[in-house]
Amino acid sequence: MNKILVVDDDVDILSLVETILSMNNFDVEAISRWEDIYTKMDQFKPNLVLLDVMLGGADGRDICKNLHLDTKTKNIPVVLFSANPEMGKYIKDCMAQDFVAKPFDISSLLKTVKAHLN
Amino acid sequence: MLKFNDISLRNKLILMQVFTSVVVFGIVFGVFIITDVNSYKQRKVDSMISLAQVLGTNSISPIQFQDPEAARKMLEELQTVAPEIIHAEITNKEGQLFASYSKTDADTFSMPRTSHGKSYSFTNDQLFVSNPIISSNEEIGKVYLEVQLTELQQIKQYKYELAFILLLVALVFSLLIAISVQGYLSTRLLKLVNAVRKIRKTGEITKAVEDKGKDEIATLIQAFNKMMEELQENQKKKDEFIGIASHELKTPLTSIKGYVEMLDMLEKENPKKQFVQKALANISKLERLVKDLLDVSKIQSGQLQLEMKEFNIDELLDETVNASQMVSETHRIERQGGPVNEMIYGDRQRIEQVLLNLLSNAIKYSPGEKTVILDTQKTENELIIKIIDYGIGVAPEERTNIFERFYRSKTLAVHISGFGLGLYICRDIINRHNGKIWVESTGKGSVFNFSLPLKHFSSIQQTEV
Repeated sequence: MNKILVVDDDVDILSLVETILSMNNFDVEAISRWEDIYTKMDQFKPNLVLLDVMLGGADGRDICKNLHLDTKTKNIPVVLFSANPEMGKYIKDCMAQDFVAKPFDISSLLKTVKAHLN
Repeated sequence: MLKFNDISLRNKLILMQVFTSVVVFGIVFGVFIITDVNSYKQRKVDSMISLAQVLGTNSISPIQFQDPEAARKMLEELQTVAPEIIHAEITNKEGQLFASYSKTDADTFSMPRTSHGKSYSFTNDQLFVSNPIISSNEEIGKVYLEVQLTELQQIKQYKYELAFILLLVALVFSLLIAISVQGYLSTRLLKLVNAVRKIRKTGEITKAVEDKGKDEIATLIQAFNKMMEELQENQKKKDEFIGIASHELKTPLTSIKGYVEMLDMLEKENPKKQFVQKALANISKLERLVKDLLDVSKIQSGQLQLEMKEFNIDELLDETVNASQMVSETHRIERQGGPVNEMIYGDRQRIEQVLLNLLSNAIKYSPGEKTVILDTQKTENELIIKIIDYGIGVAPEERTNIFERFYRSKTLAVHISGFGLGLYICRDIINRHNGKIWVESTGKGSVFNFSLPLKHFSSIQQTEV
């Protein structure tokens, strides 16, 4: 079973995404504190990270870059998602695999996630 | 027709300078010409009077000896001595003509007769001079001379032409000077005008216009630069707010959309997931955000109206504490200080909005804590309501800013959702009730206080704009 780590500071969205992914047979770990992401990468060892951009006190793009600079995590695909559609422009800069704009369709979210899990 | 206002500033400056110098030179030349002409006339009068004196002295014996022929011959010599004299006459004691002379081509005599002593007068191109003939202290006759002033006409003509040429030269020079001087003034102004044009055209607020002067133009440029700075600052604030607004509005929308979509798919299979409740909770969140936005625009356009009437404050306090408790699973909300037993004159719904806002802030900004307290304190004139939490507190430098519109804490490391409008709206509502709102914070938690007047109902305006 593919493991997905979801990071978003809005607990409602977090539980929504967790529910959607769990019901589609993914092993999901959802965290609202971005500071926990590095330890979770070690412990949970996800196959994909779904990362919000506007996190309280941090920028998801910076975290994404950090993950790609670390040899242990650099091959794990990161999908950014944000309420600001402009953020889609930055995926190359921060070496993310893809971008999903909020509000999203469940089907397109699942399609994007599955596309990067092969 | 071209109006003075339509002429460009550059041309106005040139025009003014040229006009001024032409007027000044015109006056100067005019004065010179008049003085010159007058001194020429005076000289002419002096020389003609002395000539008349000579003629008078020489005609004493012809008069005494009744020899008009001798006098006439003497006068005829004037043709060579003073050719500008066209008529000359000598009269006797009784004023009768004794001898006369006319230049051959001249008209008939038209000299005015004068009664006493010497005199002179000018017509346009002629000078009349008369001088008495005195012998043994007795006037025995008079000499009259009529002088053609052709030379004066020539001098005048010459002076006018010279003045005209000099004026033309002055005009050319002042034009050249004006063009070079206006460049200095108008270049600075044009710089400003171009900056304004560029902003209007592109909407892009450019860098400050540079100017090193200290005159009025410099003041204008400085004022413009200051204005641009403020505009830039406001633009930045607005951009920030739009960014926050779109994020804040889309976040609950994302949840609603997702839950409703899932509800659509899974309703029958899994009735216990509470998707509807979650969607509804997010709908209320969106409603509050939209309501806040509307309130702010009402406050700003002066359309927020209060419905003032007397109400029981204890009832309202209990109701809001209970309502906040209903939605909070994490905190216990306590009322302290006992019943107030007072009626308040105000807008019950708006005061309730303030209370709910402050209570929800207290819960939001004290994560991990369990208690929020609502306390009351009564003085002679007012009731102070305190909402106390034990959360993250408010930094001293932010205690006045947090009541500003769109203000969001810069020192918080955690993300707290919202527009930064709640406290701004609270302050406006409390101010309209003649009350005050302020925050105290001692590091561990904060106390939001607001006061409402107790007795001076009459001083409160019914519907303030």
